[in-house]
Amino acid sequence: MSNTSHEVAQGPHHTSGAAPTALSAHSIDKKFPGVLANDSVDFDVRAGEVHTLLGENGAGKSTLAAVLCGLYQPDAGYLIRNGKRINLSSPRAGLQHGIAMVHQHFRLVDRFTVSENVILGSRDLPYRLIRREIDEKVAAVAESYGLPIDPEAIVGTLSVGQRQRVEIVKALYQGAEILLLDEPTAVLVPSEVEKLFENVHAMTAAGKSIVFISHKLGEVVEISDRITVLRNGRVTGHVSGRGTTDTKELARLMVGRDIELNSQRATHAMGHEVLQIRDLSLDVDDVAVLTDISFNVRAGEMVGIAGVAGNGQRELADTIAGLISPTSGSITISGAMTTDRGPIAAREVGLAYVPEDRLGVGLVPSMSIIDNLLLTRNRQTVVDRFSVRPEATRLIEQFEIKANGPDHLARKLSGGNAQKVLLARELSGGRTATRLLVVCSPTRGLDVGAIETVRRILNDARSAGQAILLISEDLDEVLSLSDRVLVLYRGAVVHEALGEAAELSQVGAAMAGLSSQSH
Amino acid sequence: MMHIPFRVVFEQRGETPRRLSLIVPLVSVLAALFFGALFLLATGYSVFDTYTNMFKGGFASFNGITDTLALSTVLICTGVSAAFAFQMNLYNIGGEGQLYLGLIGGAWAGIALGDHLPSLIMVPILLICGALAGAAWIFVPALVRSRLGTSEIVSTLLLTYIGASLIKHVIYTPGSFFRNPNTSFPQGRRVADSASLDSFGSSRLYPTFFVAVVVAGALYWVVKRTEFGYRINVISDSPRAAHYAGINSRRTTMMVMSISGALSGLAGAMLIVGPYGKIEPSIITLGYGYAGIVVAALARNNLAVIIISGILFSGLRVGGNNLQVTTDTPIHIGVMLQGAILLFALGGEAFRRYHIHIVRTQTQPNIKMSA
Repeated sequence: MSNTSHEVAQGPHHTSGAAPTALSAHSIDKKFPGVLANDSVDFDVRAGEVHTLLGENGAGKSTLAAVLCGLYQPDAGYLIRNGKRINLSSPRAGLQHGIAMVHQHFRLVDRFTVSENVILGSRDLPYRLIRREIDEKVAAVAESYGLPIDPEAIVGTLSVGQRQRVEIVKALYQGAEILLLDEPTAVLVPSEVEKLFENVHAMTAAGKSIVFISHKLGEVVEISDRITVLRNGRVTGHVSGRGTTDTKELARLMVGRDIELNSQRATHAMGHEVLQIRDLSLDVDDVAVLTDISFNVRAGEMVGIAGVAGNGQRELADTIAGLISPTSGSITISGAMTTDRGPIAAREVGLAYVPEDRLGVGLVPSMSIIDNLLLTRNRQTVVDRFSVRPEATRLIEQFEIKANGPDHLARKLSGGNAQKVLLARELSGGRTATRLLVVCSPTRGLDVGAIETVRRILNDARSAGQAILLISEDLDEVLSLSDRVLVLYRGAVVHEALGEAAELSQVGAAMAGLSSQSH
Repeated sequence: MMHIPFRVVFEQRGETPRRLSLIVPLVSVLAALFFGALFLLATGYSVFDTYTNMFKGGFASFNGITDTLALSTVLICTGVSAAFAFQMNLYNIGGEGQLYLGLIGGAWAGIALGDHLPSLIMVPILLICGALAGAAWIFVPALVRSRLGTSEIVSTLLLTYIGASLIKHVIYTPGSFFRNPNTSFPQGRRVADSASLDSFGSSRLYPTFFVAVVVAGALYWVVKRTEFGYRINVISDSPRAAHYAGINSRRTTMMVMSISGALSGLAGAMLIVGPYGKIEPSIITLGYGYAGIVVAALARNNLAVIIISGILFSGLRVGGNNLQVTTDTPIHIGVMLQGAILLFALGGEAFRRYHIHIVRTQTQPNIKMSA
């Protein structure tokens, strides 16, 4: 593998800005058992700029971010903050130097108000808290960066985008000058992303430095002043300038080869209706999670369900798979009613289900590939692993799974290979031949190479005449793969479009609940 | 502020190296013996004599080894009881109480059936009745655990105290079915002769030892090879995966806990068909059920390894108790050594799970920035 750090465009030294370097990292090494997560990585961010760390999952960007904010201590290398060498023994030490991280998974207390969350962990609080003063102070900080937020709101009632704002306000309140945003757009709808980018501009205008961590090329090009690309723990390129960047070149730096993600929709014949859902409703604790959902999926058709996380996608998938009993309505798979019959009955008429959580739901982490193949199949009283072995070996080959054979433990597989094992098991049938595949977020967290393979597998399954229900938060994925797109918002289908005719803006608006079309 | 030039870092191991699984227990035992030696020196007893006497009393004499195996018969059963529940991350802390019920169940069958059946039928009936009584004692904890998620730790433990009272009740209440009617002194009524096994030769070891070994081996096989064991493994690793695959966790929980209770009950019944022949109220002071938890922990809940840890632990106990018979060493020295060995053996776990290293924290000179 080439380890030459190579520069595109103008190289790392910006010509326009004379802004001083706020934080720099020099030849950072960080080892984990078996992996060199960071291999002499150099990185720097100036005041008032957005410097992006771009890379696939496992490229080492989160590790570097963790080193920058004091969560990890590097094995070699050092940090310079405002011209002085610093040692960060903890995130608190990082905060004292004005460095704060906004994590992908929020670290907020749901029952607390916004203000209470913001001051949580502050050391210099007065003995007696005067709520009104704190609320005012929090509101003032928020507003100065164009982050309007109600300090008295209970965090548990806020939307995901608002919670992220609370995290950012918290960092700013604590005096952060350098904010590390870890995959901040992963959980947001398009309109919220726009809003976030406005906030980022407001912060850089005020002289804050933003380290933006992402693997999404489009948004990276839009927001960044500079981009550093990481692959396998090494810096593979620096790219400067906003909007002028060649995304193909970035993708190549990221992956190390040319890639083609826009899988073409094959034209194909569709057969009879495999999945029929009629007036499906689900209440959980008297709260409507799914309301009056009706749709069909035909053999050889891929129907995509778009929507922001938490709008009923998981419950819809679980209900179809027989894991949850609906409050009303019916589910028919291959002509057989499976409502209320449980997961095994659904599988017996050809259901296959790839859940969102691979390890821990779809796969048993501590078990071998063989044992995981047995999970959804008929098992004899004395489990016969010997006869499954040849099939396991064949599937490992067919699905290009990187494993040391059928005894490889599921938890030691990479995310992509775990997903391939899951798809291999579900598509190869067990109790009966697979007719309907329900698949949730199939490529989330995978590297680009694995995404390519997984999408190809799904396309092949559709061409083979299987009905596929694709549920994903990745809107691009849903739009590029599906024959038909449904948008789920607050548990109801609020928008429907044919794959080719679906417009990003309309689907995006429907996801955010701004749809004019109502059911 | 004082500068400490190093700090100790615990880093979790991804995978425990195989050789450590052997080295750590060995070093743990040596460290415990060394610790015990310091203690013995400080109290003025001979280190060498104490250790050789302990070893002789526990293993290296006819009476020693047979007494050890006799005790291990019970401890293997209670150990397997604790470890089997633990296969599904269930903590059956109440093996002690289930053992009392096993005693009562076994004694009941042994007295009620009278001396009509041959031993070959009678003894299995006693063992089954003891096991059923043990299973019955855990029924309510199992039910509320599987239906409502109520902590089985608390419920099984508290039932032990009720079990102890029950033992006292059936022995000390005048006219009780289980009480010997011919003596005014409260003691248990003997079971039928056909329900009592003979020990081997002049030893106190009974054939039930082999039953215990076979039971441990059989359950090891069940967990590794059968569908039931597969379900247990899926549920213990990821309950959500079990739900996804349509595995009924409630039923499996009920079954695993019932079997766990039955095993402790079996241990109690083994005492009836073996050394006791009647309910001995002193059983509530011996803690065989609790010792099973320790035996299971020493074997890291491996059902087959429990055969070994059960024998070793029994040897330690028999040898320790033997000290005060053969020497003038007080029994507490033996108990202290047992404790030390257990503590070190379990503490050694940390070295298996964590990579421990010492990191120097040097004060670093400031480096001038180059423009």
